Amino acid sequence: MSQGSKRCDCLVIGGGIAGMESAITLGDMGFDVVLVEKEASIGGKMILLSKVFPTLDCASCISTPKMAQTANHPRVKVLTYAEVKKVERLPEGGFRVTVRKNPTYVDPSKCTGCGQCEKVCTVGRPDQFQAGLIARKAIYIPFPQAVPKKAVIEKKALSPCSQSCPAGLRPHGLVALTRAGKIREVYLRALKDTPFPGVLCRLCAGFCESRCTRGRRDGPLPIRNFVAYAARTFLKEDGPRPSFPEPQGEKVALLGSGPEALTAAYFLARKGYAVAVFDEEVGKVFADWGAPAWLLQAELKNLEAAGVNLVSGDLKTPSELKGEGFKLVLDFRPRGEEEEFFLREGEEGVFQVGGLVQEAEKIALAARKGREVASLVEAFLKGEKKKEELLEAAFSPPKLPAGAPLRNISFVDVIRAQEEARRCLDCGVCSECHQCLEACPAKAIDFSMKPEEITYECGAVILATGFKLFEPKGKPLTGYACYPNVITGMQMDRLLAPTRPYNWVLRPSDGKLPGNIAIVLCVGSRDRTGGTRACSRICCMYSIKQAQLIMGALPIAEITIYYIDIRAFGKGYEEFFQQAKAMGVHFVKGKVARIEETKNNDLILYYEDMEGKGGLKKARHDLVVLATGALAQTEVVQTFRGEGPQRDEFSFIQEKDEDLEPGCTTLEGVFAAGAACGPRDIPDAVLHAGATVAQVAAYLRRVGWK
Amino acid sequence: MEPRIGVFICYCGGNISDYVDCERVREAVSKDPGVVVAKTFMFTCSDAAQEEMIADIREKGLNAIVIASCSPKLHLETFRNMARRAGLNPYTYVQVNIREQCSWAHTHHKEAATRKAIRLVRAGIAKARLSVPLEPIRVKTKPAVLVVGAGVAGLRAALALADMGLEVHLVEREKAPGGWVREWARVFASDRPGEELVRALLKALEGRENIHLYLETEVVEKRGSVGQFQVRLKGPQGEQVVEVGAILVATGFSPYVPREGEFGYGAPGVLTLEELHALLKKGIEGYFVYAGREIKNVAFIYCVGSREREGRTYCSRYCCTAAVHLGLVLAERYPEVRQFHFYRDMRTYGKYEIFYHNLLEKGAIFLRFEPPEIPQVEEAGGRFFVRVKDRLTGGEEVEVPAELVVLVTGMAPRPNEGLVNVLKLPVGKDGFFNEVHPKLRPVETVIDGLFIAGACQGPKNIAESVASGLAAAAKAGALLLQKELRLEPLVAHVLKEKCTGCGECVKACPYEALSLKEEDGKKIVSLNPALCKGEGACVPVCPEEAIEVWGYGHEQIRSMIQGLCKEEA
Repeated sequence: MSQGSKRCDCLVIGGGIAGMESAITLGDMGFDVVLVEKEASIGGKMILLSKVFPTLDCASCISTPKMAQTANHPRVKVLTYAEVKKVERLPEGGFRVTVRKNPTYVDPSKCTGCGQCEKVCTVGRPDQFQAGLIARKAIYIPFPQAVPKKAVIEKKALSPCSQSCPAGLRPHGLVALTRAGKIREVYLRALKDTPFPGVLCRLCAGFCESRCTRGRRDGPLPIRNFVAYAARTFLKEDGPRPSFPEPQGEKVALLGSGPEALTAAYFLARKGYAVAVFDEEVGKVFADWGAPAWLLQAELKNLEAAGVNLVSGDLKTPSELKGEGFKLVLDFRPRGEEEEFFLREGEEGVFQVGGLVQEAEKIALAARKGREVASLVEAFLKGEKKKEELLEAAFSPPKLPAGAPLRNISFVDVIRAQEEARRCLDCGVCSECHQCLEACPAKAIDFSMKPEEITYECGAVILATGFKLFEPKGKPLTGYACYPNVITGMQMDRLLAPTRPYNWVLRPSDGKLPGNIAIVLCVGSRDRTGGTRACSRICCMYSIKQAQLIMGALPIAEITIYYIDIRAFGKGYEEFFQQAKAMGVHFVKGKVARIEETKNNDLILYYEDMEGKGGLKKARHDLVVLATGALAQTEVVQTFRGEGPQRDEFSFIQEKDEDLEPGCTTLEGVFAAGAACGPRDIPDAVLHAGATVAQVAAYLRRVGWK
Repeated sequence: MEPRIGVFICYCGGNISDYVDCERVREAVSKDPGVVVAKTFMFTCSDAAQEEMIADIREKGLNAIVIASCSPKLHLETFRNMARRAGLNPYTYVQVNIREQCSWAHTHHKEAATRKAIRLVRAGIAKARLSVPLEPIRVKTKPAVLVVGAGVAGLRAALALADMGLEVHLVEREKAPGGWVREWARVFASDRPGEELVRALLKALEGRENIHLYLETEVVEKRGSVGQFQVRLKGPQGEQVVEVGAILVATGFSPYVPREGEFGYGAPGVLTLEELHALLKKGIEGYFVYAGREIKNVAFIYCVGSREREGRTYCSRYCCTAAVHLGLVLAERYPEVRQFHFYRDMRTYGKYEIFYHNLLEKGAIFLRFEPPEIPQVEEAGGRFFVRVKDRLTGGEEVEVPAELVVLVTGMAPRPNEGLVNVLKLPVGKDGFFNEVHPKLRPVETVIDGLFIAGACQGPKNIAESVASGLAAAAKAGALLLQKELRLEPLVAHVLKEKCTGCGECVKACPYEALSLKEEDGKKIVSLNPALCKGEGACVPVCPEEAIEVWGYGHEQIRSMIQGLCKEEA
């Protein structure tokens, strides 16, 4: 979907501190700015920090005014959850930037940020805003101070199981609900897609299970067994079924009561048509296929609850039925060996449906055909489709994977079922369990949302894409990701932040208060074996800050910082370093080479003692923080068509002349602000963004943009 | 008008609610006269909370609001903007600080903190009840900027301002522009002669009609206020007044000059960084010779005049990289000269790390010291011996011979008393000029329209000075590119009927905003609102209560006191 290009003076990519500062100042100057942020909130890394050096201001308290100012600036348009896909230079000057607005599946104009959806969501993901320390839900509000404070749903393509169900059930959703212990909801969710979930799953070949990702490792999840368990639980209670309004629409009669007919009847009834099903013995096909009688009878009640009138007995002819006031008669009676699906008109207003499914294990396919007939007929009755179109309609059967053997488990309690369901990998993230849909008081959830492409024509582009943190898994000797008590600096900042996950500084393995903490500097910086050869500029200072904050949170803890050089170079930084020393933080010069774990999850650090007697030394700590370095974000450069901005030897954006023309890239009209050109702390990033703004303002005036 | 007040109380994500029972505060004040709605929020500053408050203001027809949250320094503007969006006059909004002045201050006593918060909020409500809608003061701005200092930061800022279409008056105290950079032989990171950078800037300056360069000129007087300053300059051609909308100060630094005898300073062969630059600039061919002596060993001693225990406690930021870079220049020109670097922490931050690495690869030797055990420089037999306890070899005493000792001298604040007095520049503890906030407003000062850039704010290298010069230019541009300025209307106003013209307030005003004037045959006080800061020094000295500050009227203050003292029910 594409709209006509919109026009702006400058497009800023990245909504961190440098991007926000650029946008606000340019806006103040009178330029129209569009700011594109890929996350669901602006604020970048800064809003996630606890306090910031050297003044120890609360990062939230400094960021939120900037965030609000950005979002409310009359000249700044903020696009969150959006990505720049393409940047092209226009022959007449300026750029055309294609932005993809990713679907959030939540209508932002309706969402109030109340968070009810998060409570009911059944899928957990590592919370990227808590550095993965805890989980968030698939539907989430980024963090309490988010701007905009709106929920988004993380949703990839449908999970393989959901994709493969011919009947249109959402097996992933059903598994997720089972995992959450919401057994009745499993059945209710399935009822949205079929009137007979229990029978269907009893007879079906299990296409979903054969596609389960888990099947490649330790066997697929027993999805059908979950539904069977849910059906048993729900139907035993024989509680109220979902109710639908009294039928208001035309009368439709269906002859025959196979899966196609019943599914069609169910969906037509839910659309408000007065539907009646006639057969000598309603549901006999299912019984012949081996559906248990009690289950069949109980599930036929689902149809009745939806307003379908089920009539067993001698069949009337279509003309007789028409005489009784049925506007349309659909004849689903089997007509021998038929493979191809067809709709054929007998007399006026009577359609024969052909190509019925003969095998029990393909019942899901039958359900799909029934659904399709229902939607065709509905379109016809509404006048959206002509009769000819109806008669020409073809049904292209989906390619069915091989089935999977039905596992012989019958869950007796919820705990067993939950345990089994916990194996689900949530391949598509959002499971479409629809709990949020029901919980949202503002009716803001909209699963039909599609990605939207917006193109902007702008005079200048600012790259303010910041940096990414070194992933210490790349240095296995640190033990990160193997030993629970080895965490990163960002994780420590989250532990200390006002919106912290545990409300205390705890060590992850056992939740104990750490008493002897090590902070290891230069992990992935100043390193030729991993990360970057350059220094990351920020780690010394953020570690010293953390040491001071930890001393506040855990007054009796010992803190040791292992360093190569302490680079406290900014205004007030040296004093801040000396203050940490005076507070009793231990500083040890020596690079930690290796970390090992003890039985009680303490850690042994091996380091070269450079200032003592020399040689290899060991030290024991109960929590280790790795001060990971800052690396370049490189994705943005790839969006350029034709010549892109050059990068330096560390992959950061190269400035044309760092000394005299800061903020200018090697491409005219393309600028870079903040850590996109190299790691920077907050004051330096803000200054650099200011410099970039001056460059942009001068450039736009020089080329006479507008 | 009947007051219809909304009261909104912030948890600040626990910052407040951990110590103040916000729900109790809400309950206690919800029945106060005029209060129509009272609510609590996890973060009042969050978007969602603001939206909800806007809805309340509109739906319930509020004409004043009180938000009890953090310091107004943080969120006054946020909430005024919110009021504006809701269609409420922003000056009918009152912020009550129950975080810095309550929850954080009384973490030990939750009950008392809660009671205090109730009283503070009551006082805020009392103030809101008497609040008056105000409109900002509009000032026409002069699209011109005075830039003080024509070093790299000032030159680059002047160019940027001119590029934005503003007129620039660039004032330099010295005979030539370019500052210290002009004196430097080679500079990092581009490894160019400093002169080349300055030349490039001066070339860009040529032929620009909207930049006026004044050499050997000083700023001697400043009048007016943001948007309309009148500055008197004194130069070789006498005095003149320029009119500008903003002033940008980029006066740079002074290199630290060691005391006589500090690391042997004073003896020929002991140089500062500046002196090494001068030596390298001469461009000696072949052997490295100083004062007729062939130099085979050079010792660099770092942190001279920086990171001291008292006084110059700050790190000068640029000198590690500068020294390492000069080390590389030396190694390239005179590969046979041995280099010894006596350092404390090698602060070649960021990409400058590569210089350090390259110098190590060239074979330079680095020895680490830590005060109080600092290197000792002794002269004997026409050469120096530098002795140090090297921390990298277990505190071993090492003695290094050197024909040349380079003291890696830091940056010191430039003596600028005259300018500081004229412009009322805020000076920090370290002697450098102070910004309002290092992260939020790094190039602005507490005086509106007065910006600082470059090393006068704190040590910086060339790239950083230029960046801050440009950042200051951007802020000045944002101020002046719109032809009109809107100033805070919370200024004093004179109640003419009460004023007796005694002139006490005129004497009390530090901003020269008040003057005596004849009006209807009566001598009374008159106020220039653009100069008034709303500080209120005039209010207590007036014997007649004839002058008050908008938003802090006598009645308002009295009712606030009553609100504070009201006994709890």
